Amino acid sequence: MLEEARSRWHPIAAAHDLPFRHVFHGQLLGREFAVWRADDGYVNIWENRCLHRGVRLSIGINDGRELKCQYHGWRYSNRTAGCTYIPAHPADAPARTITNRTFPAVERYGLVWSSEEPRGEVPEIAGLAEGKLLALRGIAVNAPADKVVERLRAYRFQPNGAIDGEGADILVEAAQDFAVALRSRASSAETQGVFFVQPVDSNRSVIRGVLDQEAEGAARIAILRHHNERLSKLRDEVERDVANAPAPAPLEPVYERVSAELAEMPEVTTHGRKAALRVSVARKWQAADGIAGFELRPIKGILPTFQPGAHIDVHMPNGEIRQYSITNGPGETDSFTIGVKLERDSKGGSKCMHETVREGDVLAISEPRNNFPLRRDAIKTLFVAGGIGITPLLAMAQALKNQELAHELHYFAQGEEHLAFADRLKHLGDALKPHLGLSPDATGAELRQLLAGYRNGMHLYICGPGPMLEAARKIAAEQGWPDSAVHFEYFKNTNKIDDSSSFEVALARSCVTLQVPAGKTIMQVMRESGIDVPSSCEQGACGTCVATLIEGEPDHQDVYLNDAERKAGTKIMTCVSRAKSARLVLDI
Amino acid sequence: MITLYDYELSGNCYKLRLQMSFLGIDYKTVPVDFYPGREHKSEWFLKLNPLGQLPVIEDEGLILRDAQAILVYLASKYDPSGTWYPRDNPALLGEISQWLAFADGITSTASAARLHDALFYDFDIDAARAGAHRLFRILDEHLWFGEQQGRNWICSASHPTIADIACFPYIILSEEGGVPRQDYPAIRRWCDRVKRIKGFTVMSGVFPAGPGKIAA
Repeated sequence: MLEEARSRWHPIAAAHDLPFRHVFHGQLLGREFAVWRADDGYVNIWENRCLHRGVRLSIGINDGRELKCQYHGWRYSNRTAGCTYIPAHPADAPARTITNRTFPAVERYGLVWSSEEPRGEVPEIAGLAEGKLLALRGIAVNAPADKVVERLRAYRFQPNGAIDGEGADILVEAAQDFAVALRSRASSAETQGVFFVQPVDSNRSVIRGVLDQEAEGAARIAILRHHNERLSKLRDEVERDVANAPAPAPLEPVYERVSAELAEMPEVTTHGRKAALRVSVARKWQAADGIAGFELRPIKGILPTFQPGAHIDVHMPNGEIRQYSITNGPGETDSFTIGVKLERDSKGGSKCMHETVREGDVLAISEPRNNFPLRRDAIKTLFVAGGIGITPLLAMAQALKNQELAHELHYFAQGEEHLAFADRLKHLGDALKPHLGLSPDATGAELRQLLAGYRNGMHLYICGPGPMLEAARKIAAEQGWPDSAVHFEYFKNTNKIDDSSSFEVALARSCVTLQVPAGKTIMQVMRESGIDVPSSCEQGACGTCVATLIEGEPDHQDVYLNDAERKAGTKIMTCVSRAKSARLVLDI
Repeated sequence: MITLYDYELSGNCYKLRLQMSFLGIDYKTVPVDFYPGREHKSEWFLKLNPLGQLPVIEDEGLILRDAQAILVYLASKYDPSGTWYPRDNPALLGEISQWLAFADGITSTASAARLHDALFYDFDIDAARAGAHRLFRILDEHLWFGEQQGRNWICSASHPTIADIACFPYIILSEEGGVPRQDYPAIRRWCDRVKRIKGFTVMSGVFPAGPGKIAA
């Protein structure tokens, strides 16, 4: 019976067991759950162990958006259960594939339902109308579910309207493996009670009763006490019944192995940028003067986990591909929100998004990628945003705000009407420092002032138009900020790419040597040979195609690497950078 | 200044550290090597407390033993708000005393199970665990009905009392004695609430809670 039970829906908690900012410890058929309600109302039912060291997540912290493991602070996102931050690796974005196992969650009849491998929908119970029910206190019983159900068939209770009486007539309306529906009648009063039995383990159960009528005030408490008293008595009887029999062995939950898709190397493909996700434009609005906001919702399933700083490729109806940062706060996983500024000299990207794409349209997007990861071990973090450069920094500021980590968001814009995503900005409170309508000189002066006072342990994130970004980096360096504390992201690479060199590239892992002629990139030549490399912007700005350089002198033409990384000569962007030496050896 | 004769891993000593932290009282500690040194049975300590038990405090010449007694003393003397032990509310004082006795029951069951598992005490572990579960069932039911009636704490006041402090440590440490709290969801929620009282402090094996949701 218990094997078959795995494909059924069972209640695993009462709705009132899941207040905000709490983690409920559940169990079904031997498998433990960490169950938590995010601030957006979503109920998460997860395998109760951290993927890192196996510690129970039910002792973790529900911050309303993410669940943090108590042991080493790994953070997992609402809805997706994807890991968003690993404190021991503050400078890295965790791989998207670190994802805890989730189980379906449905709230119905005042209960939270789940299943290991559900077939069909949560059962419809005749006579239980949503909204007018009374969920009783769950009664944990140290006995097998079938023994509890057996006793429940003979459960006697008074109808709500005659709770103080005695001797109501009880009719068994339905009895199944894990539920009994009873009707109690006393003169004109009548109440139906449905008693579900949650098979916690082979020898443990919880009785979760629901009455078909709500009640108020003292009457309500009297009804709840009536059932609590009688069900507790029933519990004691069942426990006495089974006390002398040997207890069945506990069920052994089967822990899912990492799927082959994640454990194995992907097939070699020759095509370039992928757009695995289909989303619909749920909302398009003017987020600021000249900036359109887009809320992208998945057509089916849920969106993958993202980290603050991540971007997606958007494939447009006109065939163009552009990168846009995700502006969402942590745990906001039901949609991706991006902001698109209409560029005056648009080559078709922003123009298409502004003029052609409408609400309801379907777009292809890539998985989120994070080449601009946010450290959360800074003593203080400064964000400097220029114009539409706000988008990745907005996601970051919301993440730090949620964790109550010290930060300031300096937002340079032409005027009030250019400040995008007002609702999100408002949520940041005093951390938001707008700087409006400044000339380039005045911007420089302002930057000099706010970048003064660098202390070890501070970090700076900059995103904005090229000239402003250059100025901010220069000023930061003058004010004593080391390269390792200054993080930046360019929208695009405005360097003129010199692709006149020709050289040899040896791929050490692949045991392949390729010739890169003038006019072709390392990436193109690799793809022509069937070696897939991830890419996104393909102009040396985003960092997706970074490769480790083992030997040779690189000719950097990107804007992703900082000066220290350039000098170190161990990384190269294969989409634009080339070789000064006759040969490069890459760790590919 | 108050001196607390203290053992870091003792839940009974933790009750006093918790309360003094809630009340913002300065104190100093004298560590007593309970395990493995058995210093609480040493000659010098038996002079302080002939029962040979922790905790003991010394305050302006007064030497006091027994965690519950010390909670009463500290709250009566050092709580200007008068909420932790409301001296002018007889019904509430009765309730508090009732639950202080209950806390002693938790000590003799859940704490005994923990001493058996963690510090190798020769106790009847099955009886200790069964006793703890019996008490936890009673408390879970009490707290669940409290929630249904808008009451967050053990006693019927709109604020926590020393009864909450007295019950908390050996409940939150019960897993160390093999007493899981999975079947007591109302106790688990109450533990979150205790952890969110301003001034809450942790000990080994007790984790802090995250911030609560601020009502919109």
